[in-house]
Amino acid sequence: MITIQNLTKVFRTEEVETAALSGISLEIKKGDFLTIMGPSGCGKSTLLNIIGLLDSGSTGSYKLLDQEMINLKEKGRAQVRKENIGFIFQNFNLIDELSVYDNIELPLLYNNVKAADRKQKIEAIAEKLNISHRLKHYPQQLSGGQQQRVAVARALVNDPKIILADEPTGNLDSKNGNEVMELLTDLHAKGATILMVTHSDYDASFSQKTIHMKDGIILSEKLNQRNVDVFMDAK
Amino acid sequence: MISNWFKIFIYHLKQSKLFSFLNILGLSIGIASVIFAILYWNNENAYDQWNPNKERIYMSLNKIGSTGDTWASNSIPFGETCKATIPEIESICFFNTWYDEDVIKYQDKKVLAKNIMGSDENFFDFFPFEILKGANKNILKEKNSVAISEEQAKLLFQNEDPIGKSISYNNDHYTIKSVYRIIKPSSIQPTYVFSNVKREFDLNAWGNFNYGLLVKIKKDASAAVVLKKMQNVNFVNRTVKDAKESGMTVEQHIKENGQITVILDQLKTSRLHGTKSSAGRNYPEGVGNLKLLYIMGGLSLLILVLSVVNYSNLATASAIKRAKEVGVRKIVGATKNQIVTQFIFETAIIVILAILFALAIVEFSLPYYSNFLNKTLTMNGGEFYLQLIMIFGLVIIFAGIFPAVYISNFETLKVLKGNFSRSKSGIWIRNSMLIFQFGIAAFFIIGALIVNSQVDYMMKKDLGFSGDQVISIPFNKADRKKRTEQYTVAKQEIKKIPGVLDVSAFAGTFGGSTSSSSGFKHNGIFVQPRNVEMDFGFLEMMKIKIVQGRDLSTEFASDTVSNMLMNETLVKTLNLKNPINTIITSGWGNENGPLKYKIVGVVKDFNIVGLHEKVPPMVFINLKTLKWNNFNNVLVKVSPNNLTETLAGLKKYWAANVNADYPFDYEFVNKGFARTYEEQVKQKNLFFILNLVVIIIAVFGLFALASFSMERRLKEIAIRKTLGAETDTLLKELSKQYIIFCVLGFLIGIVPAYILLQKWLEDFAFRINISAVPFGIALVSLIILTLIIVLAKAYQVTKIDILKYLKYE
Repeated sequence: MITIQNLTKVFRTEEVETAALSGISLEIKKGDFLTIMGPSGCGKSTLLNIIGLLDSGSTGSYKLLDQEMINLKEKGRAQVRKENIGFIFQNFNLIDELSVYDNIELPLLYNNVKAADRKQKIEAIAEKLNISHRLKHYPQQLSGGQQQRVAVARALVNDPKIILADEPTGNLDSKNGNEVMELLTDLHAKGATILMVTHSDYDASFSQKTIHMKDGIILSEKLNQRNVDVFMDAK
Repeated sequence: MISNWFKIFIYHLKQSKLFSFLNILGLSIGIASVIFAILYWNNENAYDQWNPNKERIYMSLNKIGSTGDTWASNSIPFGETCKATIPEIESICFFNTWYDEDVIKYQDKKVLAKNIMGSDENFFDFFPFEILKGANKNILKEKNSVAISEEQAKLLFQNEDPIGKSISYNNDHYTIKSVYRIIKPSSIQPTYVFSNVKREFDLNAWGNFNYGLLVKIKKDASAAVVLKKMQNVNFVNRTVKDAKESGMTVEQHIKENGQITVILDQLKTSRLHGTKSSAGRNYPEGVGNLKLLYIMGGLSLLILVLSVVNYSNLATASAIKRAKEVGVRKIVGATKNQIVTQFIFETAIIVILAILFALAIVEFSLPYYSNFLNKTLTMNGGEFYLQLIMIFGLVIIFAGIFPAVYISNFETLKVLKGNFSRSKSGIWIRNSMLIFQFGIAAFFIIGALIVNSQVDYMMKKDLGFSGDQVISIPFNKADRKKRTEQYTVAKQEIKKIPGVLDVSAFAGTFGGSTSSSSGFKHNGIFVQPRNVEMDFGFLEMMKIKIVQGRDLSTEFASDTVSNMLMNETLVKTLNLKNPINTIITSGWGNENGPLKYKIVGVVKDFNIVGLHEKVPPMVFINLKTLKWNNFNNVLVKVSPNNLTETLAGLKKYWAANVNADYPFDYEFVNKGFARTYEEQVKQKNLFFILNLVVIIIAVFGLFALASFSMERRLKEIAIRKTLGAETDTLLKELSKQYIIFCVLGFLIGIVPAYILLQKWLEDFAFRINISAVPFGIALVSLIILTLIIVLAKAYQVTKIDILKYLKYE
């Protein structure tokens, strides 16, 4: 689904050039659940942003669904993004002025989904994430875990090809954090492709594969044992 | 989508009620001011547009070669000759270029009617008002016929049929042929149209310019050709003949006396763009005040621009609050265009609200405005609503697009990372808009101060005469030929009324000029002085000074025969070194040729006309010298004590002895003169009101902008305070830039203010010089205003709770 080859990203200020990514190659297949870890400034967020089409690489190649994304214009990137990518953020990024329902509805609005279908989809996803009773509330009235679930619902409502999660549990306590991770695992089990950035080894252990980055390069890749999943299923 | 946008909009509206309200108010004031200008514009441009012949009707004017004056009047033989010899002319119409005001009688009923028109039989062919009753054609063909307006018919006849009835006007009887309904606005809006305007003695007199002349040219005829032919009629019949009479060749005659240039003004554009005649008006309804129209239009546009800039600036500044929302929208798939559309949508709602608000403001203040313009204005007509829609579109484009594009350009990543609120993007644009606003405010303050001092100057200027306690009363004795005799008798009687100090008369009015003017030549210099036919003692009563020689007096028999006075201007124009005892061959004459007069005194210049114009050259003779009897008012100097009783006495005398048909009417001479600068007083008031509006909008804009930008610096302020900054230093730090903006704006404002006000002042022959004072006052008051607002806000900001902002973010 995603093929990245020799991707670099250079930030230029007037005097200094900083390479945030230097020659990253990576492949994500459909149904993968991948975690990127590494210290602050290692380039993991930059990579995520490039994959999420919020930013673009300097050189190299990034193919999403066999389509080259490097050098794509802002408008084209927005188009690809809204059809294929769902975002989950550390700080949720819900619009405080809109109700839960309206927040979840946004991607559907921008993808020109018909009103009747919108309602159906929102109700279905809310049901799935157990926030049906919260649809009329506003983000500030919810707990952190609930807010993140709304954010997940918003990321999923348009059936994206890949979900990008940027420290999804960073602003949550361990109980709520766990809930969110279980949610992601569950989604993965149902076939979703997920790319997550995290600091937490615990969170990373939910995924199939962990990539460690440092100073803009990939240090190591490691397959995680799936006993957690088995354990969860047994439970 | 719309409902989603609407929810967000309502949320923010509720969140900042005060700012939203002020924002809408600011815009609506701007829009209201433009609506006012549009109403005025529409009204002025609507004149005569209803007239089906507006493109074919031309008014003939004459530019007199020797003086350069332009007269809206013509002689009868000129018009008749043009009609007879120029095939392109379909018809012509003679009419009075002024309205008469007189008593109309029907049986024992009397009405004092205004706007009475005299014309010839073609009037309704040129102004085809709707005929409600009576004849449709040849209305005024028969001698002594009259057409009467709907309102007057109702007034005189109630439910009776007026057709065929006989009414009397000016000692003559007229038969009513038709009742018409005036179509407004029109250059002529008569209450009555009387026939036979042409007087016997004018029929063949080429020199009697006594009538307005309209020519209607044939459908495919060219006005330029007609004009050329009319010019030729004038050349053959006047210039060539005059030259022959004076024994000169035509070239020589033209060289010495010039010749008349005929001018044709199309009815369609005559109201606003017609030739300015010396009388100040061509048609009885007067000319449109193009200058005031431009002033109104310009100022109102400026206010709209100010409020639009204000809106745009605030929207941009408060966009920070919307940054996260925009970021999220972009993440979930909104395109730039969608963001732009959303914010334009919000502007559209605000503009709709502002327009509704503006309409309410206009509706509420329309009576005052109509009064200010002396018009009846209404808000209707398809054109007006179309213009409203245009305003709507323009305001949205100018107020909405900039902030919308600005917001849509927020970089998603930066916004969502949360360090956006301190970014400096767009600041320089906001600051330049602020400077621009200061510029507009400076312009208005300077303008108001200069207009104010000119009006002040006009009100206080020594006019060369004193109208204190002098009232002017119309002397409407029926038989004009005996007027001077009757006045002489009445004068003695009036003097006996308690409280009356003195009585006099002259043929003219203060502020309105004299009734006549006659040209003559002396030492090869042609002059056209105003004739002042006056009673003995007139100059003394009005405290007009004699600088050389003596006043006319009853002691000298020749003072009513062959002596005259001149004013300083005339003496100067004629280059008379020793004017006293100089003999002048005047412009007046009898069967024995021109009359000669001896100058016995020189009168100090005084302002007979308004201060727009220079003091005209004037000659002074006694009422009895020419016996023209063309004075209309008696001047009575009254004692300030017991004024009510004095007026009652005068009223009683007038009713019994002068003319019982007219209601007793009087006016203080000073008040009459004040009418010459009435318009400027109005402009002063207009400027004052607009100034308030501008300052309110600008102050609010400044306050809001200062609030936004200071609130964004809260963290910085908190850090500075932690490090030990004192309030004084912080205040200085926060206010400094606004003072700089203020001064920059002021510098931008002075140039247009100086140029435009200089232009405005050019209209006045007597005027102030623009000094540095208004500029100084404007600068100081702007700075003070800025300081008050900015310091108040800055002080509030420095009182913040440090901990709260250090922890934040």
